[in-house]
Amino acid sequence: MDTSNPAILVNGNLLPTHVRKRVRTVIQVMNSDRGSVIGKSTDDQQLVIKGSPPSTPLTRFVEVIGIADSDKSIQAEIWTNFGDNFDASSFNQLCQLANGEYQHLFL
Amino acid sequence: MYGGSEFDGGAAAFMGGGFMPSQATQPHDSFASSSASKNRDSKVLLPLTVKQMSELANTDESNFTVDGVVVNTVVVVGRVCRKEDKLNEFTFLVDDGTGVIGCCKWIQEPLDNEEIGGISIGTYVRVHGHLRSLQGRRFINVFSIRPVTDFNEVASHLIECIYVHFYNTKMKGAPLTNSIPPSSNNFSRGLQSAPLNQPAAAFQGGDGINDLGCKILDLLKQPQYLSIEEGVHQETIALQLNLPMHIIREGIDTLIDNGFMYSSIDEFHFKSAVNA
Repeated sequence: MDTSNPAILVNGNLLPTHVRKRVRTVIQVMNSDRGSVIGKSTDDQQLVIKGSPPSTPLTRFVEVIGIADSDKSIQAEIWTNFGDNFDASSFNQLCQLANGEYQHLFL
Repeated sequence: MYGGSEFDGGAAAFMGGGFMPSQATQPHDSFASSSASKNRDSKVLLPLTVKQMSELANTDESNFTVDGVVVNTVVVVGRVCRKEDKLNEFTFLVDDGTGVIGCCKWIQEPLDNEEIGGISIGTYVRVHGHLRSLQGRRFINVFSIRPVTDFNEVASHLIECIYVHFYNTKMKGAPLTNSIPPSSNNFSRGLQSAPLNQPAAAFQGGDGINDLGCKILDLLKQPQYLSIEEGVHQETIALQLNLPMHIIREGIDTLIDNGFMYSSIDEFHFKSAVNA
């Protein structure tokens, strides 16, 4: 069991508070080209996800886990297709709870 | 007669539900709290984060508690980040974002092989198993693993972890605090001095009984009234509680409707069903 390297659940608003830390978030893919993907966070902010997406086509929603390298960008290590039907609103509220009153359950 | 009380009131949503850990936290469990670890109702399925599992108190290798609830079976949803497939044993690591935990599933039947066949590195899975500790290392002895197909399940599981934690730490504690209706407190305290042959579970506080009802039942429970075979006259009840008759009648009618009281020799004499 190892809890030394968690990935903090973030949305667009929470990302700036965790720069240089390992984070995870779900984005809605807006645009992708070589080297980066432009996505919309679950609280409707534009984020840049750097790195190489997997060779399989990206679904509408993608989870990325990586290091936050600025207020608006993440250097992704792991990409996971989360499908086309994802409840962004619930995930957004989860981010708020996981960083607020119930942070002790996560970090 | 007693069954009606089990489905009334706000707490009914958590009574006998089957899925919520509230089965371990029903008010009547306070009577069985001394044997909670042996109580069938305390063996619940708990959604936990790996962070929570890392911080559990344990008395030995298989007895853990979290938020006052005995941990028996746990469910984790996370990403498989390592796996090792041996002949009779499938071991893997699950990362749920809060930490990584080792899992072990014994392969004994072809069905077990089918179950693990679709699992690879990067697959999100839902794992059910028993939390164990061996030489200080905690792991899950898995009896069920399946891939996640709808990724809302990932967020849903973490939300459920939060909710169950909230329920066990705040809502479960309600019967013991002043925030609940006084009638429930009076009733449960009253039941503790009732004859032991009475099934206390059927009369949980808060369902179908109010403050007045508790006072009436408390009065009938007193030895001098309990011993009256023909029951207690409603005027005696009104006199002793110093309340107008119409109020007493309302209270009596409510108690009768909910099965806590019944009329005895005539429509003016009553006995408590709790202490019958």
